[in-house]
Amino acid sequence: MAGQAQSRMNDTELIREAQRGNAAAFEDLVRQYDAAVLRLAYHLTRSEQDAQDIYQEAFLKAYRNINNFRFECSFYTWIYRIVTNLCLDLLRKRQVRKEDSGVTTDSEGGSYDLLDQVADVRSGASPERDLMRRELGARIAKALQKLTPRERMVFEMKHYQGLKLRTIGEILNTTEETAKNTLFRGTQKLRAALRDMR
Amino acid sequence: MNCEWVQQNITLYLYNELADDARHELEQHVARCQNCAAEVADQREFQVQMNALPVEEPSASFLAAARMRLQESLETAQPHRAWYHRLVFDPAAWLRQVRFSPALSSLLFLVGFAGGIGAMYSTMSKGQRPAVITGATPQEASIGGITSIEKEAGTDNVKVQYDKRLPESVQGSVSDPKVQDLLLYAAKSNENSGVRLNSVDALTSKADDPRVRETLTYALRYDSNPGVRLMALEGLGPYVKDDIRVRNAVLEALLNDSNPGVRSGALHALDPVRADSSVRMALQQLSKEDASPYIRSESTRMLASMPVID
Repeated sequence: MAGQAQSRMNDTELIREAQRGNAAAFEDLVRQYDAAVLRLAYHLTRSEQDAQDIYQEAFLKAYRNINNFRFECSFYTWIYRIVTNLCLDLLRKRQVRKEDSGVTTDSEGGSYDLLDQVADVRSGASPERDLMRRELGARIAKALQKLTPRERMVFEMKHYQGLKLRTIGEILNTTEETAKNTLFRGTQKLRAALRDMR
Repeated sequence: MNCEWVQQNITLYLYNELADDARHELEQHVARCQNCAAEVADQREFQVQMNALPVEEPSASFLAAARMRLQESLETAQPHRAWYHRLVFDPAAWLRQVRFSPALSSLLFLVGFAGGIGAMYSTMSKGQRPAVITGATPQEASIGGITSIEKEAGTDNVKVQYDKRLPESVQGSVSDPKVQDLLLYAAKSNENSGVRLNSVDALTSKADDPRVRETLTYALRYDSNPGVRLMALEGLGPYVKDDIRVRNAVLEALLNDSNPGVRSGALHALDPVRADSSVRMALQQLSKEDASPYIRSESTRMLASMPVID
């Protein structure tokens, strides 16, 4: 507990420094969150380019608006709000351009095949099993596209990033109850989609 | 505790979101109720299935690249100041703004480094030479960037903090993920075309990896150096048949690349798929309009040797 209070205080000092325009203090602050942000952005978008763009935009936006941070929530929540809004924007843009086939476009209009976006398992133990796993991965990626951006975001944060529903509610500026219901809807849709694909 | 409640809360249960007492009740119910137990098993399986798309930690080079790019952007970005801040003169902030002034940068190159971060020196006043502290030459010290400048009030003393670039090396097979990550990064972002060329060259042996192909495709599309683009093309050639993205990128190069050497390389790379309708259309355009007579005649020849498929 005391340790947490200590690190909170250091964060506060870093934030105040950053508010004075100290970019180095901001970078120190950023380092606590940036790997997690990149991980989220990459898993969500399946595109290195898009993940990079979200990363850059999010932290730049945070730096430019740091004087709007008035300590009413944790810095973690504040950063994640910015990142989530950017992710939602991207998901909405992609939905508009969505095609039915397994080929999708990233935010630059470059096309990529979902199958290729799934991690290439280098185990080499069983090529058939690897292929099956990649195909399952592609099916899952396709099923995820059936969710609304918000459902996708909540599922990503709960299932893949392990955040608590209460935190997710705070990040999305809504209640834990709403986040729960969004998770349910998303889960139902996904289960139905996977069943249909068998 | 009825089945309806249980069914509605299985998701929360599996995500460990239930309060302790609710969790206990649910587990008790599931131990006695086959239907609900089946539903729990089903949802568990669903969760396992969803992990066929696992979350990956960003590679060290990916994260490093992101951080470097952010650092560069932050150097010119400014936080939006509240209006009342603008009325107060903040010497520290002012000094931060002048950190890129040429006078200060040239001063820095006259100062030696004491093998650590940070150096103190006296500023010049009226034509005086700056006091040099220790002796390494500017060539030995590679500065990564200046992070802050603080002026001691009432004196001529200034403290400059800067980052030093530490050269490192890694050796190993191109199959080694660490090596590959660095090669992928170098191929896309290095300023030196020789380095980009060597990375692309090394990567061509691993073009069976779609991530490598993505980088080679990027190099073919966007690299400023035609030698690098040709090298990428060589790596991608064998994949025009099976990878539609590669075929499209090579087609693009054929139609849009400014360098005739790259265009003829692309032409030959597309020979195995010359029956493809979009390739045919491109060949028809090139046979009439390309600036290079070689490309015009080659396209004509390839068209002539093709069966017409409609």
